[in-house]
Amino acid sequence: MIDLFNFNKKKILVTGASSGIGKATSILLSKLGAKIIMIAQNKERLDSVTKELDAQGHRWYSYNLKEISGINLLIKTIVEENGTLDGFVHCAGISSMRPLKMTKYDFLHDMMLINFYSFVELVRVITRKGNYNNGLSIVGMSSVSGIKGLKSKTAYSASKAALDGAIRAISKELHDKKIRINSIIAGLVKTEMFEKYKSNIILSGKINDIERGDINLPEPDDIARSITFLLSDSAKYINGTNIIIDSGLKYD
Amino acid sequence: MEIEKKMEMLEEILELEKGTLAEETILNDINEWDSIAKLSLVALIEDEFGSKISGEQVRNLVSIKDILKLMK
Repeated sequence: MIDLFNFNKKKILVTGASSGIGKATSILLSKLGAKIIMIAQNKERLDSVTKELDAQGHRWYSYNLKEISGINLLIKTIVEENGTLDGFVHCAGISSMRPLKMTKYDFLHDMMLINFYSFVELVRVITRKGNYNNGLSIVGMSSVSGIKGLKSKTAYSASKAALDGAIRAISKELHDKKIRINSIIAGLVKTEMFEKYKSNIILSGKINDIERGDINLPEPDDIARSITFLLSDSAKYINGTNIIIDSGLKYD
Repeated sequence: MEIEKKMEMLEEILELEKGTLAEETILNDINEWDSIAKLSLVALIEDEFGSKISGEQVRNLVSIKDILKLMK
């Protein structure tokens, strides 16, 4: 019997861990022996997720990732209190629908802060000597809207395209340090974010396949499995690229 | 906020000339009341009044007066 994914004693940092894909990823990795360090804002939710994790020794930190300037100290604290990192998964993000005419600078900036700027800052700090172990793997959550573009999702699409673009560049720089960085490009997934999206779509009066239940959508755990793969040694030669999880449909 | 200012905001997001809308105007009679307009209204209320309105609430809107009631 071989073990495709062994995360025994590996330390993995997960942002957006209080719900959706971040939560599912934390739970799955804990079942594979990893020690999870979770970042999100809501303390009650973080506490609740911790209770669902396998085994002990996990930690959470409540932090608003829009505070970019404090990320350096946050990571310093996390490494001091938990040791050097083996993996980092960025699931924190927001996705509101907003027509172009209402996409002013403040809204755009807000989305970029959490979806993109915080990601780059976290990568910048985590990949400093002394913060990570050999074989560090980084995964960013991205979306088909970044490659396809969707109506009323200018800001969201831009933030995800930025993330994917940055990952390609960063991968080239970090290759020599044997650090890998990739993204998961997901279509629709059954999360709270999706529920919000559905209620907005209903707003437009369009009954579509998703609402009728015709299309079979992935659960957060399905995405967590691909994230786990990218974090593992089984993906040793996968770098600077994306895994697209959308049933081949590139959802509208 | 006075009604006049609110009406101006609504005319702006619907891209209508000032003075086009009245409190009694029925939304379905306005050509410009499409899905983009509905999403813009949700965004406007979030930005200007700090409250989040649901898809359900939007679907129940009949007249401009109903919208004005939400703008607080």
